[in-house]
Amino acid sequence: MAIDVVVLVSIGRHPVSGRARRADADARAVELALGIAGAHVQLVHAGDPDEPALRDYLGMGANAVTVLRMGPEADPVSVLSAHLSSTKPQIVLAGTRAEGGEDSGLVPYLVAQALNTPLVPGIVSLSLVGERAEMLQGLPRGRRRSLVSPVPLVATVPVMAPAPRMSAFGLARRGTIAVKDADAAADAARTAWTEGPARRRPKRIKVMKAASAADRVRAVTEMAAGKGKVLQNVPPEEAAKAIFDYLVTEGIIQAKP
Amino acid sequence: MSEERIRRDPRAEREARRGRAPQAEDIPTPVAAEASPSGRVRRDPRAERAARTSRAAEPATAAQPAAAPESESGRVRRDPRAERASRTGRAAPAAPQPAAPAPAPSGRVRRDPRADRTAQRQAGVARAETASPVKTIADPKFLILAVPDLEDARLSSHDKDVIGAARGLADAGGGAVVVLAFTGPEGVKDGLDEAGADRALRFADVSFAGYAPERRAAAVLAAIQALNPRHILFPDTGVVGGDVGRRVAVSLGDRVASNVQRVAPDRITRRGRGGRADFALAPPRVLLIAAEAADPVIDERYEARDLPAPRIEALSHVEDRGLAATDPATVPMAEADFIVSAGNGVRDWDAFHRVAAALGASEGGSRPVCDAGHLPRHRQVGASGTLVEPRCYVALGIAGAPQHLQGISKVERVVAVNADAHCDMVKRADLAVVGDVQALMPALERIAKERRHGN
Amino acid sequence: MILLQGLIGICVAVGAACALWRARRWFRGRPAKVDFLRGLLRFPQSYFVDLHHIVARDPYTARMHVMVAGGFTAAFLLTLAVHLFDIDSRGLAWLLLAFLVLMGAGAAFVALRRRPKPARLSAGGFSRLPWSLFAFAAAFFLATLPKAGLVAPFAAFSVPGIVVLVLAAWGCAEMVAFLPLGPMKHSFAGAMHLICHPRFQRLGAARPDSGLKPLDLELPKLGVEAPSDFKWNQLLGFDACVQCGRCEVVCPAFAAELPLNPKKLIQDLARAVDPGASDAAYAGSPYPGRPVGQAHGGPSRPIIGDDAMIHPDTLWSCTTCRACVQECPMMIEHVDAIVDLRRFQALEKGAVPGKAPLVLAELRATDTQCGAALASRLDWAADLSLPLISAKGECDVLLWLGEGAFDLRNQRTLRALVRLMRHAKIDFAVLGEEELDTGDLARRLGDEATFQDLAKRNAATLAKYRFRRIVTADPHVFHSLRNEYPAFGARHEVMHHTMLLDELVSQGALPKGKSSAGKTTYHDPCYLGRYNGEIRAPRAVLDAIGVERVEMERSGMRSMCCGGGGGAPVTDIAGKKRIPDVRMEQARETGAAVVAVACPNCAVMLEGVVGPRPEVVDVAELLLQAVEAA
Repeated sequence: MAIDVVVLVSIGRHPVSGRARRADADARAVELALGIAGAHVQLVHAGDPDEPALRDYLGMGANAVTVLRMGPEADPVSVLSAHLSSTKPQIVLAGTRAEGGEDSGLVPYLVAQALNTPLVPGIVSLSLVGERAEMLQGLPRGRRRSLVSPVPLVATVPVMAPAPRMSAFGLARRGTIAVKDADAAADAARTAWTEGPARRRPKRIKVMKAASAADRVRAVTEMAAGKGKVLQNVPPEEAAKAIFDYLVTEGIIQAKP
Repeated sequence: MSEERIRRDPRAEREARRGRAPQAEDIPTPVAAEASPSGRVRRDPRAERAARTSRAAEPATAAQPAAAPESESGRVRRDPRAERASRTGRAAPAAPQPAAPAPAPSGRVRRDPRADRTAQRQAGVARAETASPVKTIADPKFLILAVPDLEDARLSSHDKDVIGAARGLADAGGGAVVVLAFTGPEGVKDGLDEAGADRALRFADVSFAGYAPERRAAAVLAAIQALNPRHILFPDTGVVGGDVGRRVAVSLGDRVASNVQRVAPDRITRRGRGGRADFALAPPRVLLIAAEAADPVIDERYEARDLPAPRIEALSHVEDRGLAATDPATVPMAEADFIVSAGNGVRDWDAFHRVAAALGASEGGSRPVCDAGHLPRHRQVGASGTLVEPRCYVALGIAGAPQHLQGISKVERVVAVNADAHCDMVKRADLAVVGDVQALMPALERIAKERRHGN
Repeated sequence: MILLQGLIGICVAVGAACALWRARRWFRGRPAKVDFLRGLLRFPQSYFVDLHHIVARDPYTARMHVMVAGGFTAAFLLTLAVHLFDIDSRGLAWLLLAFLVLMGAGAAFVALRRRPKPARLSAGGFSRLPWSLFAFAAAFFLATLPKAGLVAPFAAFSVPGIVVLVLAAWGCAEMVAFLPLGPMKHSFAGAMHLICHPRFQRLGAARPDSGLKPLDLELPKLGVEAPSDFKWNQLLGFDACVQCGRCEVVCPAFAAELPLNPKKLIQDLARAVDPGASDAAYAGSPYPGRPVGQAHGGPSRPIIGDDAMIHPDTLWSCTTCRACVQECPMMIEHVDAIVDLRRFQALEKGAVPGKAPLVLAELRATDTQCGAALASRLDWAADLSLPLISAKGECDVLLWLGEGAFDLRNQRTLRALVRLMRHAKIDFAVLGEEELDTGDLARRLGDEATFQDLAKRNAATLAKYRFRRIVTADPHVFHSLRNEYPAFGARHEVMHHTMLLDELVSQGALPKGKSSAGKTTYHDPCYLGRYNGEIRAPRAVLDAIGVERVEMERSGMRSMCCGGGGGAPVTDIAGKKRIPDVRMEQARETGAAVVAVACPNCAVMLEGVVGPRPEVVDVAELLLQAVEAA
């Protein structure tokens, strides 16, 4: 029996050009889904069915994407939850967060709540053993946690998951986009927000304490001109010790007390 | 730079060798200025280097060998000669007052991996001198709940930023910060008091360790019910704070503000549209704070009074089978935390593999080294290999071709060992050793084996 | 002699049947428009001029081939006259004897050439071939002696009669009856290939016909998956391969021991057409590092795959340098076949290795290979204040900057070029933000969709402005704009910067200076030299500034690739060595202090070679240094 796997996909934006494309984390979720043996993969998108970037997902080898048609700033949660409650997939995957709007990363949680299923965050692999999903959760610094959950479940896929395959033009062209009209309410709270271009935060070179203004000026100028420490004509033993001490000081490794 | 500075400052050095830690006023003006606990630096590696070298080296050279010759030897970069002197017993044991910091701060500083060690250390020294009093807020008007990740029972710099953000919200209106800490059975290794907690709600039970987002969310919800905080702040991290925070928000039926960039009582800024737009809005209850969105508390101490922790009943349907064994050698390069990388200067490959293993680092290599088959292709660092972002990158015998430097452009700490003092990698490095790589590798391996544990 | 007559007659009939049998497999391919009559009429010129020019690059082989092929063809026709139709003429018999002697001598050269067998030549049927040639020549020499009146006629069942019959049977079996199936297949398929060549316009063209043909993106299947997806005359072309191994000798990937051998590639493609195909019978050099005999295929089975006829690593090892095409005496189009195969992999499977998918994604999302903002293409030139054509509206030279504008190394070249143009007071402008990547890289990687999208948009931009010519310092851009954009409506005069610089130098538009560079060797970029035939201009510039110029063993049209073409740096297939290392070694052998380059890819690849090596400097940089010294 094929397991139904639904991947929630959104429209991403290239960070430089702003051009629409597949969202990175969602594409990784599709990649992960396509790699589950015995899975029947369906893609679901809430938004505009005419968005060409949707075809990027079809180009990965999924045959069809179901689009729940709704306005650009409408709230997708009720629409997605209603759809998924009726289709009852065993596994719902989504990227950890979208790239197109609020990017709150909350949708999978709300969907899991609506479907009353566990949510497992940040998985980088998933395989099915009977009715249970065996997963690896990606932790920082290359660590992985092994998790097992019964299905149905919702899981999110982070950008540390394996890279998505290339989207093939021919497959993208042939895939079908099935449109379902959805009744989505506009997101009322959003109207109170003001939106502007992302501002880069200034570099963090501050928090001066217990020093005079002159010291502060000096500290800042010296920082700007700074160079690394260079050890020359030092015996290997001492150089090695200096490196080791540096690594310990910087918290990279721990030394015995 | 600090090496030069040390050599140029024979007086401090002499003093150190004699074991006399000079008082601040003994030190000539520039050094004194640097010794002053000026703050913290991040994100600008050059500035950071400068700050560290200018601030860390001198007081360390001057004061610490005398203060705590053995236990502290590992934590500060300093003049090796001075240190040798201290170990060989030529240093006089008598420690003058300013160089005897309270044990707690120095211990905290040493063990804290990611926070600004230097600034903290300086703060510690400074506090010992000025003995900053504990700030208490007896009757807060409202509460701000901060939930740090406390991975490995340590406050990360991100955690400290979050508590700093909470501090800011509290201080703006006479509130107090409650830090909800999943401490693990051994307790938090850092001081919640110094991080800025007025109150501490500690959950030490082992059932909160490992994969326990449902239990953690239940604990936070119980705390919210008991304390009714105005805001709940989490670090917006992938599988800890970001996850628990979203669960809490969903349970509260609240909106969440994620990727929060700036925090003020009436207005926050959060990033959206794939990082291209900032939204300004009135803060919702649950705030997921981006790293460096706020400054951590520095040089102050709060009460961190323990509150009674409620009992939590929550089950998980998800079974945690524990951490999969991760071998640094198999960690994908892009995720590696600590990389020891080899270039053309490395000829003894056994020694290279041994030193990487002894340090517990992932192996990397320059293009020519991978071309020559000394390391597999997927270990190649650089524009044509992998762009890496470890916390530290040790480049052994790598001259630093532009394509290679491109691959480590985001690395904060670079250590270089190279025979050529003028190569680009030495210029890029925070710590560079000019010398023979072959001779250094076994020495480093020996020290690592002697002195390293765990990790 | 009725027996001999019967033998010849049967062999001719069997040969005709075998030819039809063999031709049947070509028609498993897709239809192609072929002007058969035109090909037939042009055949003598195609064969005796175009093909001979290529063969004659190896004089020994050329002489050998003239003797064997000429001797055999004439002898065979005369044999038909003398022995099959029994025309009784001493003159004809003597003539026949003469051609048989010529053929026999040629066969001796064939045999000598294989002793010891050079690695590039195949064994198998080819080892037998000299002896078959001897057998044919000897048999009919003996049989013709009586007809020439030199000896008395001998009976069929005498000793000489039986010797003649046995040798004639052997010779005719190889050279007539089973010619279309054995090593002599190349003569039959090769002739047909010349007549039905898929790039017919290439024959006799003044400059290389090297532009790729646009792919109709509306086709149900894009690119070539199975042999039956090739055009029939492409399949015919593969069959024409004589396994001479000239391609193998010049292939940069083979030299660096990447898993590619163009000869085996063509052989595998030729074999893949047969049901149950395998490469087991292949008797030449393998793909480096891969065993022979593991590959399997069939007319409708995918060609590319881990256990198919061709491994993906082989397909992606090619730098599209066209050295194989340049050398192939049978005029086979290797690069077209490789791009056809890549098109299927990229467009239908999305199976492109290494970092190529990332680069292609950036191209689609940002119109640059590195994912930079289009506006930042001019960042390096902030101090040069380059004029924008959108502000000027028209200019003499439209300077196309290319992806090199994002690369530190190549920015030095561009800077030199701009300063030279200013010295010469050229009215130039740049497109600035309006310049998109040409899509050249995407096209070589098989992503025709991305290429066509970029080409159409660039063509529309170019149509907006008036300029006399486009100049670029990137031969890949040069090739693309000059040879491949006309299909998208952009017909402009395009020059490589060395061509412009040569013009300026020869017109005296620049101060005459003397270069202080030491001994210099010029490395021809494939896309300038082999793809466009321009090997003179850069050398003329170097000579004009008094550079002591030395040539590498391989230079000009027969130069060797730096390894930077065809997307090879991004697909990054590993070999035992690296192509730029191999090429730099050739540069070192000249003792030159400077390798002059004229391509951003060559500059980056050759500068990436570690260890003591000549300095890598662009021709424009050398010229600027000389001009400023003046």
